[in-house]
This record gives sequence, structure tokens and C-alpha cells, in this order.
Amino acid sequence: MKENIKETIAWLRKKGVDYADIRQVKRISENIRVKNREMEGVSKSEDLGFGIRVLYRGAWGFASSNNPSKGEYKRMAGLALDIARASGLTQREPVRLAENEVYKDKFISLCQIDPFKVSLDEKLNLLISACDLMLKNPGIRVADTSLNFFRSEQIFANTEGSLIEQIITESGGGAVATAARNGETQWRSYPNSHSGDYATRGYEFIQEMRLLDQMERISREAVALLSAPECPNQETTIIVSGNQMALQVHESCGHPIELDRVLGTEISLAGGSFMTLDKLGKLQYGSPQVNIYADATTPGGLGSFGYDDEGVKAQRTDIIKQGRFVGYLTSRETATLFKQPSNGTMRADGWNRIPLIRMTNINLEPGEVSLEELIADTRQGLFLDTNKSWSIDDKRLNFQFAVEAAWEIRDGKLGQMYKNPIYTGITPEFWNTCDAVCNKNHWHVWGVPNCGKGEPMQTMHVGHGVAPARFSKVKVGGAK
Amino acid sequence: MMGKEKIFSLLTPVIKKSPADQTEAVVINSQAGLTRYANSTIHQNVYEVNSKVYFRVALGKKLGVAATNVLNKESLKKTLENALSIARNQRETPDFTGLPGQASYKKLKTHYKKTANFSPQQRAEAVKGVFELAGKHKLTVAGAFSTGESEVAVLNSNRVACYQPLSSAYINITAMSDNSSGYADGLSRSVDELEIERLAEIAIQKCLDSRNPQGFQPGEYTVILEPKAVAELLEWMNYIGLGAKSLQDGTSFLAGKIGQRIMGENVSIYDDGNDEYSMAFPFDFEGVPKKKIFMVRNGEAKGVVYDSLTATKDKTKSTGHALTPDTPERALALNLFVKAGDSNLKKMIESTGQGILVTRFHYINGLIDTNNAVLTGMTRDGTFYIEKGRIKHGIKNLRFTESMLKAFSNVEQLSRQRRMVASWWSDVGCITVPAMKINNFRFTGKTEF
Repeated sequence: MKENIKETIAWLRKKGVDYADIRQVKRISENIRVKNREMEGVSKSEDLGFGIRVLYRGAWGFASSNNPSKGEYKRMAGLALDIARASGLTQREPVRLAENEVYKDKFISLCQIDPFKVSLDEKLNLLISACDLMLKNPGIRVADTSLNFFRSEQIFANTEGSLIEQIITESGGGAVATAARNGETQWRSYPNSHSGDYATRGYEFIQEMRLLDQMERISREAVALLSAPECPNQETTIIVSGNQMALQVHESCGHPIELDRVLGTEISLAGGSFMTLDKLGKLQYGSPQVNIYADATTPGGLGSFGYDDEGVKAQRTDIIKQGRFVGYLTSRETATLFKQPSNGTMRADGWNRIPLIRMTNINLEPGEVSLEELIADTRQGLFLDTNKSWSIDDKRLNFQFAVEAAWEIRDGKLGQMYKNPIYTGITPEFWNTCDAVCNKNHWHVWGVPNCGKGEPMQTMHVGHGVAPARFSKVKVGGAK
Repeated sequence: MMGKEKIFSLLTPVIKKSPADQTEAVVINSQAGLTRYANSTIHQNVYEVNSKVYFRVALGKKLGVAATNVLNKESLKKTLENALSIARNQRETPDFTGLPGQASYKKLKTHYKKTANFSPQQRAEAVKGVFELAGKHKLTVAGAFSTGESEVAVLNSNRVACYQPLSSAYINITAMSDNSSGYADGLSRSVDELEIERLAEIAIQKCLDSRNPQGFQPGEYTVILEPKAVAELLEWMNYIGLGAKSLQDGTSFLAGKIGQRIMGENVSIYDDGNDEYSMAFPFDFEGVPKKKIFMVRNGEAKGVVYDSLTATKDKTKSTGHALTPDTPERALALNLFVKAGDSNLKKMIESTGQGILVTRFHYINGLIDTNNAVLTGMTRDGTFYIEKGRIKHGIKNLRFTESMLKAFSNVEQLSRQRRMVASWWSDVGCITVPAMKINNFRFTGKTEF
């Protein structure tokens, strides 16, 4: 197969392309879901194909196929070239690419226990046991559990001479206990909502999750939520849990720093960004306690890799430094704007999609205090835990999150539980009220496996290393 | 595309030789191109040819599913073995009573050769025309124009053998000025029906009309939702409440309310995969013919859509709404309709003393309180203030947080004309809805543009 890639690269060079790259990707996955002890679905999938991206006379073309034969490589290369010519019909400024080193390398992600070699029986037993523990609580109507495993084997080659192989294994899963009474449902998730937590690691990640240890707690809390009062409307101090902070960073920082959004090229679907070019280096995005960076080298992070899908080496980039906005996520095309090299964030959802600027691991640096100390230091407020819903405007300013549960904080202690809590704010106003981030003992890289962007839609797996953090003067209320 | 005969001749022997008690194959082949543009230039231009074959096998009540996109005999054999291996190591699925049997489905014209073969050059020429129209008003445009074809086949050991070729064409256009935007889109099985120039003019006019938007205080207002905005609400309502799973889990807004009045008498929500004023598709991914199903009829909660597994649990029959075998939701309504009224957008505006016209929403989420269908989202690309029966000016975008049970109980008018709106499943369905005028719609926040 490498021969097909090499021959096609040589053919494209002869055709006089400005640049071309080829990615051949084989992806296997295993998805297991057990609900109320019943098999909701067990499936395996294999996906193989290649995509050819061509820059010809300053315009892009891309063609991809699930048939990696010699003839099909040639056909797709010709088609990509034709498509680039069609793009040229409306071209005003030719696309230029920032310089990049030539790499010949192989990267394999962390994986101690190959999840595809762990027996289905062991995985089913884990999920059935988790269901059993949740269903011990008579208030639980639905015990929902899942495990998901992915492995992608990719060969990347470009006309500049790079040839990079990567094998990335991902593991993830979680559980949700749903309680129901009188037409009302409430749920609690572990370790996170929306299918759990994920990492670029092997089955050891699932073992370290200790799923069974938390089933009794989430079941008890889900049932308790049914009787809990509605979260009162108020403006107050909030401490946001780690798993919710992951989504807070994702939506209000991760997306607006994507330089393609800033330049308007995602406007029709995902939208633009309030973090416009004139704000770089000037905007006080958050308080001095807020330090955010993009890091594709975070060990085990779901957004970790060796090289991005343009062949740029994985790296760390400062985004917010002591509250000030200092950097974007860039590609080779957009980095030319700053006369800088790309910081390596171009990622494609498989062989049949072009790379776009995507989050890698967008991490919030830990602070000094423990969560216990932070709660003890809070006279009045709320502790908000685990995302339920998310929504933000198309420039990433007005956000609204619902979380599964809230607890009142009064005089430094957790008290009354509330249901249906929602909090809302304007991004920079919110982050400028952040006065503390918890320390490294509470810092965890959460895997978010469902980040959508692009047309055709691409779903990306990204990570967020975060710890709980405190914010003040936040509008909080109930759903009703 | 492979065509019916080739697919059947490839898969039929595999199913016949399968050692499983029952075997099902779902085949989806596709080839499509998409031209994406922004700042009035094409910046992404892509083509994809792909396939997917799912095998679902049953050993007694033990099920296994495996899929591949490699369509050679060796890969199919390996994939079938994977499905069998899963089934052997599985626990039983009590609700499995067998794969569906053979049934006839409606013959529909769903494939147009011109749309299937529409070239990147033709798409580029079309969007160039849109750039020129916008340029006359010193506006830029962004959007995507896609054309392509696919084919779906479902075969099983109970003699189900369904095949449908499909084509689709879709364009979305966002016109942009320094401080406003306007949106329009079109969807059809045939590229000839897209009316790209008319859509561009709508987007441009909305952008011009919403220039210099004014700030607006959140609160309860009469709102006129254009069909795109209505469809976006329906898309989430489908996900959280119109499929059997959500009813069985108790999380649906229909749970415990079947037979009760939950919306206004003028609201009927139904699914009809055979209605050609949608992206019609006559059978589901189990090969069961699609039935017309009312979820809400004249405001009364009627039921949900089923696949064969969820139907067994509720002691009923599949309605022909199964999704692909690897999808945990099992069944959703892919050809959603809201029954038309007798009004139109002009009448709605003229009859409004004070209100808001919404072109479309952004980033709706419906997981806040699914039992009450509470959705939140932002307006975008053309939000207007209406006063004394006239559009006064554009307003800055607003956040709504509202129960759809309340909103759809307050529908004052529905338009006679309906529009097909694309969704993420648009090859095999869409959402066909009228414009709606709704009283006391709750806006809960605002933003700065």
C-alpha cells in the first residue's frame, strides 16, 4: 500500500501541484452498551480508505475513496486535481503554506493493555455488574452503561517528503443511573455524562476508572434529585466540578481560538469567534488565575498524537497567559498570517475528511488550593457538577450550561442538593471572575469524543486537562 | 454505485451460507461532492466515495453486529465471522423475536441522474453566481453546496430484499455584512429544484434588512419562526422524545401522556417516509415498510416510532423506523412533518402588534429537562423586531429557553406553505414544516451582536 502512496505522490509532483498530501487510514472500533442488564448493542466496525489533498495554483481539491487499489489512487489523484481547478474558478488570493520540517517517523500512543484483546465476556461482565449495582436501588428505572474502543492506523505522506505512520488507541466508557417518578426523570453519570470519559490509552484506563465503586453513589444521588428542590434563581459564587470545567473550557475557549473560525471560514455552520485578530495580545480574557494552553503531547489525552494531519509535530502552545489572550490554534495555511509555523492542530475525522483546525488537549493550568479548601473558603454559593446540556452563540460569547446536580455551599460547607441547575454568562466576563483553580491533585484530562465541526460534519476526539474552579457573580437558575 | 443486482448477487450467497440462525445485511453505498465557500471564495472542495455493510446475526436470542467499508468477498466473510463471534459471546436479548419478514414497499422516484453526476465545475459555477449577486450589494457569502447519490439495500434470511437508489442536492447560503447576516437554504432530491438564485436573494435581503441591529431585552414575546427555525426545534424534539427508546426509558416528553392533550389543537406532528414532499425513503434499515405515524394529532399525544426490538417490548409492531443496526437509539422519525395551517408569513407579521421574527437558531440543546421538552438555543442570521404589523429593524441575537409543550400550546398561526429542511439524516429524510406564529415565547438572554 505504501507503494501506491509513493507512486501517487510522485505523479502529483509531475503534475506541478504546489503541494499534496495523502492519508491512508484504517480504523477499527468496538462499541458495547448494556442497559438494565440487557444487551443494548455490541458491534465491531472496520473502516479503511485514503484521501488525497491537492493544492494546485493556490486552490484546494480533495478526493477520497474506500478502495485503496492502484487504479483508484490514480483516479482520486486526478479527481482531486480537477476539483482544485474548479476551486480556482473563484480564487482571489492563492493559498500559501507555512514552512514545515520534513519528518520520517512512527508514533504509537500509550497502550498497556490492548482493549481489542480483552475478552467480550470480561467487558460484558463489568457492565452487567455496574447495572446490577445501580438497579439495587429501587428508584432507578434505567441503568445504562457503555464501553467504546477505537484504533486508527494512519500513513501520511506529502510532496515535501514526509512519511509518518501513527497508531493511536482510544478507550472510554461510563455509566448513567436514571431515576423516574411521577413523569419526572433525573440522572447522574460517572465518570462523566454523554458516554463517559476517554483517553488515548488501553484497557488499563477502564480498569483505573473503578466504575463499580461509584454505582451506588450515582444511583442514590439520581433518586435524591427527584425530591430535591428546583435550583433557585440567583446571582452567586459557583465552584464548577472538573468534568463540567472540561466543557466550559471546550465551548468558551477551545472553539473561539480556532483561527479558521476567526477568519470566517466556518461561519456558515459552526460560526465565527469574538476573539478577533485585533484582540490577540490585548484581550484580558480572564483573571490572572487563568492560564490555558493547547498541548497535543499531554500523556493519554484524547487530543494527543505524534503529528497532526498536515504532518506538523505535536506541540504545546500558550493560549491564555495570566488571563491575557496570547495565541490561536493554527494550520499551515492560517499561520502564514502571522509569518509563523503552524502549531499543529489540523485534524481530520478519518480518511474521507479534510483536516480542519481542531482542539487538541486544551488545558487549564492547575492552581494551588484543594477542592476542600476552596469549598471551606466559600461563604455562600453553589457547587455545580457534571454537564447535562450545553449551548453557546455563534461567536462563543453567550453560553448556557445545565448540570446534573448542584449543592448549596454555606459557610464553607456543602449543604442542600438542588435539581435542574442552569448557569449562564458572557465568556470574558465569566472568566474574569475566576479567582481560584484547584491544584494538580484534582487535575484530570477529560476526554470529549463528540466535538462537531465542518461540512461534511466531522466528529473529533479532544481532551481537556482541568481542575474545579471558582467564579463569582454568576447567573444561576432552574430549568422551569 | 453498484446497483441492485450486483449488491443482491454479492450478499445473497453470504446470507444463505451464514451459519447463524438468522442473518441480515444492510448495504449503504455513496458518492458525493461538497463545495464549501466563505468570504466569497471556495476554500474547501471535497469528494468521497464510500460503502458500508452491516451484518446482524442471531444465534437464538443472542445478537451480534459487525460492519466494514471494504466490499470484497474476503472482507465480508471476516465481518460476518466478527458478528458471529460477538453473538456467541453475547448474552440474550429478550426482546428479539426474529428478523422482520418480507413485505412490499412503495415505489418512489428518489434518484435523479443529473444530481448524481453534478460536477465540481458545475457547483463552482453556481456558487460563483451567488458571489456575484452578493458582491453587487458589497456583501460576502459563506455556505456549502453538495450533490451526490447513494443506494441502500436491506437483505435478510427471512427473504427481505429491499433496494432504493437516492440522490440529493443541498445548498446553504449565509450573506454577511460588517454587522449583520442573512440565511437561506434549499434541499431536494433533484438539483434542478434548488432555485439557487432565489435563495441567494433571500439571504442577501435578510442581511441588508438586519443591518445595524439594535439591542433587545429578553422576555416573553410573540415570535414568528420561519420553517428552518421550526425544523431545528423538531430535530431536537425527535431525538429526546419521538423514538420508542425515550418513551420506554421514561425520558420522553410523551412518557405518561399518551392520549392526553399536550399541545394546541392546531398542532399535528407526524412521520411519513412515503410522502414525496420530503426526502422520501420507503423502508427502514430492517427492511420494514414505513408507516405514516402521528406522534401528536390535533394536540393530543398519540405515540412514538418503533423498530422491531422496541416494538416487541411494547407489545406492538414495528412502524418501519429502524436506524442502522449499530445505532443505540434504535428508532427515530426521519421524515418528520408538521401539519400545515392556512396562514402565511405576511399575514403573521401583519397581525403582530409587537414580536420577533426568527430566521434560524444556533446550537439548540434539549437535554435540560426532556420530560417537559425544554430547549435552549440562540437566534442567528436574521432576527427582526416587529411592531404594529411591520418589520421595524434587525435586533441582536437572543437566547431562548422554553418548554416546547408550552410553546406548541401557544401556536396562533401556521403557514399553508411548508418547506423541506435538511437535517443530519438528509439522504434518507428531512423535516417538512410550516412557519409558526407562537405567543408568549420565552427569551432568557442576549448577546453582543
